[in-house]
Amino acid sequence: MLAACSRPGGPIVIGLAGPFSQARGASMLRAAQLAVDQINARGGVRSRLLKLKPVDDSGSENTALRVAEQFYADPAVVAVVGHLSSDPSKAGLRVYGAGRTPLVMVSPSASNPDLAGINPYFFRVCPSDAQHGPQLARFARQTLAARRAGIIYVNNDYGRGVRRAFDAEFARLGGVVVEADPYVPETRSLEPYLSRMRQAGVDVLVLAAERPGAELALREMQALRLGWPVIGGDALTGIEADGALAEGVHVSSAYLPDRPDERNVAFVADYARAYPGQRPDHRGAGAYDAVRLLARAISEAGAGRQAIRDYLAKVGRGKAPFEGVTGTVAFDSNGDVPGKQVVIGVIHGGRLVAESER
Amino acid sequence: MPRMFDTIRSRIVAGLIPLAIGLVGTALLAAVTLRQMRHAVGDELAGLRASSEIGSGLVATVFEEIRAAEQYLAAPGADSRRLFQAAGDDAFQYERRLEALGITGEDRIAVGRLKQLNAAIQVDYAIAHALKDLGRDGEALTQSAAVRPRAAEVTRLVRDLASRQAVKAAQVADRLAAASREREKELWLLLGGIAVVGLFLARWAMLSIHGPLSRLVTAAERFGSGDLRPVTVGEMPREFRVLADAMQRMADRLRRIVGEVVGESDRIAGSAGDLSATSEQLAASSSEVSTAMVEIAGSADHQRAALGTMGTGLEELRLAATEMAEAADRTARLGEEIRMVADRHRGDVGAAGKALLDVREVVQTTSRQISELAQLSAAIDDFVDLIKRISSQTNLLALNAAIEAARAGEHGRGFAVVAEEVRQLADESARAAEEVTRTTTLIREHMEEVTATMTAGQAKVRGIESIAEGAARGLTEIVAAIEQVEHASLRVRVAAQANRQTAERLKQQVEQVAGRATAHASSAEQVTAATQQQGASTQQMAAAAAHMLEAAEKLRGLVQGLRV
Repeated sequence: MLAACSRPGGPIVIGLAGPFSQARGASMLRAAQLAVDQINARGGVRSRLLKLKPVDDSGSENTALRVAEQFYADPAVVAVVGHLSSDPSKAGLRVYGAGRTPLVMVSPSASNPDLAGINPYFFRVCPSDAQHGPQLARFARQTLAARRAGIIYVNNDYGRGVRRAFDAEFARLGGVVVEADPYVPETRSLEPYLSRMRQAGVDVLVLAAERPGAELALREMQALRLGWPVIGGDALTGIEADGALAEGVHVSSAYLPDRPDERNVAFVADYARAYPGQRPDHRGAGAYDAVRLLARAISEAGAGRQAIRDYLAKVGRGKAPFEGVTGTVAFDSNGDVPGKQVVIGVIHGGRLVAESER
Repeated sequence: MPRMFDTIRSRIVAGLIPLAIGLVGTALLAAVTLRQMRHAVGDELAGLRASSEIGSGLVATVFEEIRAAEQYLAAPGADSRRLFQAAGDDAFQYERRLEALGITGEDRIAVGRLKQLNAAIQVDYAIAHALKDLGRDGEALTQSAAVRPRAAEVTRLVRDLASRQAVKAAQVADRLAAASREREKELWLLLGGIAVVGLFLARWAMLSIHGPLSRLVTAAERFGSGDLRPVTVGEMPREFRVLADAMQRMADRLRRIVGEVVGESDRIAGSAGDLSATSEQLAASSSEVSTAMVEIAGSADHQRAALGTMGTGLEELRLAATEMAEAADRTARLGEEIRMVADRHRGDVGAAGKALLDVREVVQTTSRQISELAQLSAAIDDFVDLIKRISSQTNLLALNAAIEAARAGEHGRGFAVVAEEVRQLADESARAAEEVTRTTTLIREHMEEVTATMTAGQAKVRGIESIAEGAARGLTEIVAAIEQVEHASLRVRVAAQANRQTAERLKQQVEQVAGRATAHASSAEQVTAATQQQGASTQQMAAAAAHMLEAAEKLRGLVQGLRV
């Protein structure tokens, strides 16, 4: 067990894994560091300082594997915050959940439904994609009163997952998916899809896409002068920076920075103070909550790998749910947060805001 | 040897348990190995089957997808579009399954590339279809043409994947073979080890049985050959120890019995020897008794003869006493005559000058007769001496007889009484003889007095002239002297009478003694006969003792074969 504990007196080390060289990873690193700084400013945990050990996994599975091995082999590391997205998380979990001293991992935003219950050392503070698709369908059908939807999806697990979930819920609500068209990052033009959708007639465009694909679609829509309402999953997050292009696009998200919760308001304010001109996104907010959740676990169960994992497993099921800036965290037996609601925000003025603010 | 292994059973069990454990372990190891191999082979086969199935499925699906897509391009329709969608979804599922196989390294890259290619193929066709739907067939063709190299790459990748899987399978098979060889080696080693341990344990058990057993057999053979001395059989299993203890106890008991038999036979031999010696002694002493009896009989004869001689002596004594009495009577008569003569001649003294001469003569005669009497009394002395001697001899004889009687013990008791009687008789005889001696001495003194008186008378007669008056007085004195003589002779007669009576009584007693001696002699002869008979019995007894001795010797010879 010694190997699984930080040295007494020294700082308690938490690994942080993500693509820090990319914008989405940088957001995660900033928020996590803010959480650690705040905790240490209040005296640390169990009279010991918390220390982040950030290692860049480039968002790639192979790198994530190596990073996971590095964390696993370091006895000072008692838990990991990360990885950011689903595939690196899946790779990392092959290391964390094995061997004699398994290491718990709390992902801020790995939303692939396949991760649910993948092993006992996986937890995430965000809803899975399976929660985004239905939420988008309900929004399209009920809020936008759309009946005919066209879907452009990135032809991978994520895009297909969102497409499938949307399709089912939208059909259930009486809508029709006129067409669902795949793209890959190499796809140069989505114009044929858009042209055909115009022919077929759609009243909402669903972008189960990542930001580049979504930007391509939006640009071509502008070119074709198509004015359909556009909704997308949280993979679009960041697109608000595109200004006018993204104006009015609805995005489903586990977290909105202007969430009217005093904890969140304080967090957004602190974040802006720490990183002037910056607003946290759902990844940063998730990382912030993950760090604080781990701090609570360490303070209550001790700085042992297994103790932390066992404590996390009880959060919301025996122990009190964790009230974070992203909402209430209460794990199910798969390490998921089924109680967490996906919210639909709208991009307005370069920011993702709640629909009501528009 | 630890206490827990002190029985053959426990040793065999102790030997069998590790063997059984070893064999069970080997069997388990073999079973586990087989199971592992089966699982490994099964897993590998399943993996291989799955990968080949997925691979071929993927290729088939991709081609199905392409076929449907091309079909749609040729003649757009809902069916072919749906087929294309479904094939695309299937291909996507295959890709997921391919990922789920847990592939690594090169395969992972290949699968990633496959996914990209398939996604791209789908997208190309989707766009081509859109273009086709929009009536832009030329663009659609161009778009779909881009699919072909991708499809070829998919095929190549799947083929490579399959061949890598095959290589991997071959490697795994090699690894499994190596592992199985390793396991086989281990199993052989283990079996060899078990065999060695088994041999060792068997040898141990055999030794622990055989050693003590041969020691027991040796001990038993020793006992069998009659050597019953205690043996040290040493350390041995409990069962054998029980046997050995039983043998030891048996040997102890036998040893004790043999010891007792030897002791008894020794004692019997001793007793027989003693008996033999005793019977010899007895024979010797019976012959001694016989001899003594013969001697006693002889002595009794002698005694009888001596008693006869004594009787004769006593008869002679009695006769002498009678003669002495007669002489005393005669003396008395002579004294009477003298007195009468003296009386007659006392008146005639004066006148009897001549008569004095007669007197002188008479006195001389008397003197002579007195001398004769003295001589007679000397004979009495001699006789008394004889009696004294006889009584002394009798006394001696009686003493001897008493001694012999004492030696004869019970048988001689009666004889001892007789001997005592004889001795008392002899004493009495001696006393009577003493009395006779005293009496004769007195007589002799008186006779000497008479002689002296007569000598004086003679002198007076010779001096008669001077003593004429004194003659009467002298005669009176003579008469007085005669009276004294008469008194003396009366006393002599009485004494002689008593002496005779004593002699007669003595004779009677001697005769009695002689009779008893005769009876004693006959008793002695009887004793001798009995003793001789006893001697014969003793001979028999000695013979029996010899037999017994012989038996005891034989017995001892028998048990002497046994060493204890």
